[in-house]
Amino acid sequence: MALTDIAAAPAVRRPGLTTRLRRLVPWSVAFGMVWLGATLFVAVFADWLRPYSITQMDLMARLVPPLTPGHLLGTDELGRDVLSRLIQSVQVSFVIAFGATILSAVFGTTLGFLAARFRGLAEHIVIMLADFQAALPFLIMSLAVLAFFGSSMVLLVALMGFYGWERYARIARGLAISAGAQGYAAAVVQLGGTPARVYLKHILPNVASTLIVSMTLTFPEIILMESGLSFLGLGVQPPETSLGNMIGFGREYLTTAPWIMLAPAVVISLTTLSISLVGDWLRDKLDPTIR
Amino acid sequence: MFRFVLIRFGRAFVTIIAVMTFAFVVLRLSGDPAAVIMGPDAPIEAVNAFRAAWGLDQPVWVQYVAYIQAIFTGDFGVSMRGQSPALDLVVERIPATLELTLPALLLQLAIGIPAGIYAALHRDSAIDRGVILGAVMGFTIPSFVMGLVLVLVFAVTLGWLPSGGDATWQHAILPVIAMSVGGIGILARFSRSAMIEVMGQPYIRTASAKGVTWGSVVRGHALPNAAVPIVTIVGFMVGSLLAGAVVVETIFSWPGIGRLLIVSVTNRDLAVVQCILLLVAAVMVVSNLVVDLLYGWLDPRLRGHAAH
Amino acid sequence: MTLDVMPDVTRDTPRKAAPLLEADGLVRIYETRKGLFGQPVPVRAVNGVSLKVAQGETLGIVGESGSGKSTLGRMLLGVDPSQEGVVRFAGAPLPAAGTPAWRALRAHMQMVHQDPLAALDKRLTIADQIREPLDIHARGNRAERRARVAELMQAVGLRPDQAGRYPHELSGGQRQRVVIARALACGPSLLVCDEPVSALDVSIQAQVVNLLADMQAANGLAMVFISHDLKVVRNLADRVAVMYLGEIVEEGPVEAVFAAPQHPYTQALVSSVPAPGKRLDGRMILKGEPPNPAARPAGCAFHPRCPHAVASCRAEAPALVPTAAGRRAACHLVGGADRLAA
Repeated sequence: MALTDIAAAPAVRRPGLTTRLRRLVPWSVAFGMVWLGATLFVAVFADWLRPYSITQMDLMARLVPPLTPGHLLGTDELGRDVLSRLIQSVQVSFVIAFGATILSAVFGTTLGFLAARFRGLAEHIVIMLADFQAALPFLIMSLAVLAFFGSSMVLLVALMGFYGWERYARIARGLAISAGAQGYAAAVVQLGGTPARVYLKHILPNVASTLIVSMTLTFPEIILMESGLSFLGLGVQPPETSLGNMIGFGREYLTTAPWIMLAPAVVISLTTLSISLVGDWLRDKLDPTIR
Repeated sequence: MFRFVLIRFGRAFVTIIAVMTFAFVVLRLSGDPAAVIMGPDAPIEAVNAFRAAWGLDQPVWVQYVAYIQAIFTGDFGVSMRGQSPALDLVVERIPATLELTLPALLLQLAIGIPAGIYAALHRDSAIDRGVILGAVMGFTIPSFVMGLVLVLVFAVTLGWLPSGGDATWQHAILPVIAMSVGGIGILARFSRSAMIEVMGQPYIRTASAKGVTWGSVVRGHALPNAAVPIVTIVGFMVGSLLAGAVVVETIFSWPGIGRLLIVSVTNRDLAVVQCILLLVAAVMVVSNLVVDLLYGWLDPRLRGHAAH
Repeated sequence: MTLDVMPDVTRDTPRKAAPLLEADGLVRIYETRKGLFGQPVPVRAVNGVSLKVAQGETLGIVGESGSGKSTLGRMLLGVDPSQEGVVRFAGAPLPAAGTPAWRALRAHMQMVHQDPLAALDKRLTIADQIREPLDIHARGNRAERRARVAELMQAVGLRPDQAGRYPHELSGGQRQRVVIARALACGPSLLVCDEPVSALDVSIQAQVVNLLADMQAANGLAMVFISHDLKVVRNLADRVAVMYLGEIVEEGPVEAVFAAPQHPYTQALVSSVPAPGKRLDGRMILKGEPPNPAARPAGCAFHPRCPHAVASCRAEAPALVPTAAGRRAACHLVGGADRLAA
């Protein structure tokens, strides 16, 4: 029904720009876009935006509350500037989530294509992997791996890269099979194209939009997963900082300095909320076929 | 149908074996537990004796076979620190975890599904919008943030409820809320879209056109059909509850399996971590199995000739 | 106008007298299941088909849906493997599908499908798609490929300014022209057309059929033209094979078969084509169920619907035997003399 509103709008009277924008984008989605734009900006330019180094201690100003001159969001138990650490955390969390989302999309799409190409055994193996993943909550599996192999940034990204792959695998397999049955992929095979040409030059560009839309589902979930692990002390390790790890350490000062924990908590919640709102909206607009 | 059940059981079995193998690979190949447990300064004889005692001096595949055999005979090993059987340590924590997860699951079902269905039946009303926004907020706020905010508000600021421990039933209130909020949001949103989809089906419109009252259309046709997709998500809910238990039990110092896992993981207590992984996997496999069978039973299309 | 700038292996083969395409005893069995775990039911989609196509000749294959004619078309190209029998192209058996040898052979044998929109990649321009076989088979350099694409587009009646268009921006007939141009890009010697016009508007069908006829004449193509439309086949084909439930029941020169069909099924098909000035009461109406390949009747597969069926039809399947010059039919009641023609 939202679409008919938009379609009908210009016919009645040419409304002002703001009215048209508001019809085009609900206020919640607009808020999400603005917030995401701001966080992306912060993540990209973190090094320039940070007022202090994240490890710089100001022992004269420990546990200073927010809005103190020089420390907009206060300081932590070592006198480190919370705003600076927050900016750095946004960057770290985004880098991990981006890397992992791309890894998981590549991994899942590859498996989906393999299942579509070889069927039979390949499909059974993919189903078995998906069964395995469904049998261990991802957080618990990650805990075991990180605890025993030791946490590092590379391992963390690689591990998070296994999150949500089955979604891409399912989409890629289904779309590749339908393209191959009687469609353009079968036609290219019939022209003498190699499987690499069929899958990379033809099927991949055709399924890319659907895959990108489902990346908006995976991205916030990976942010939550990483911050959960970091909160439990098994994700990003000090002196590096991430949103979850700030909350984990801020928890100790919940009664005396709640701002240490509240600042990153608000950022995480608003970011994942914004991605969900914008992602839902995008999905309705671009690809109504996936839920 | 019988073959479907049989194949589903076979897949469940393979999955359990896969989890066992995963636990073995991660826990045995990640490092030398003897060196970790005994410390770097331990005399070499003591380390070797420790290795022999735990079978760590055997080739990896011998350890693997022995490990699988032991598990199938109910032997999950002995905690390397506590000296008591790992299974006992884990089992004695089960009730505490159930005290949180069961009420949380009930809360999710009792609030999430009705809210979603109500919103679907009053689509685009103010209540519908409220439910959507609440649901999205519910599952985008991570459980550890929810838990800490609850502590901050109800324990630290208002002082109404305890912030941690498990002495009285009041201690369970905040953890149960923290655990259930996300699931309520997911269930509400999912039930809403399932119900909306069902309400748009031709048979619903036909029933309405035939003059069947709206109430009986909803009760007799829409609800049973919407139940099918909703059931599929409950298996996923169990998984997120188990993951949530790890975080929430840590925040509220609740002596359940989740906290035992964190403690054992930090202590590198192989046997206990293994045991918990397998227990969690068993719970998940069983609930996924139940969901699949329930799904096959609920969906009349699948009753005759099994699922795809 | 010549399209024959590309080398053509078949021209150089010593066995010029041999048919270009020769199928011998092809069998294709599908397994279908009732539900996922039901007992698999073998379906003989193609049941012992033998045929020959000479260079430059057009063979029409007609039959109802479910007669196995599309499956046969894919088997002639080696896309679908045959469980029994062999397909020889220019004297050599076809390599297995997906092998490098099979892929290389695609330059010499091509296919045109029913649905041109499905067969085209909606994200590539038509010039890119017509060029694709040239890229795949590494024909010419960049400039030569571009020139070849322009030549092909002109030959199939597409305007040069349409080169940058996407499939959805073209009409159905234009899309099928793109598919035909793409199929001809490498200068094949065999073209299999599977219902190439049945998805098009009736007004467009004749144009595309004429285009195929022109291309065939200009390039000396051998063509297998699969259709349920007898009039189109009659216009285009030199010979025709009539399929019923995976078997050829009658085969011969197209004019002879349509003028005097021998098999009762062909008679029914031919009489079902309305013609101006022809009275309807003489028409032979097919009764009974349309053919279901999963439940093939014993004996002659056509006997349940055949008005002339006798006891032996129910018991024994008739063989496809020569009946007249260049004609074959599979019917117990068709001997040397044309008993049923009256």
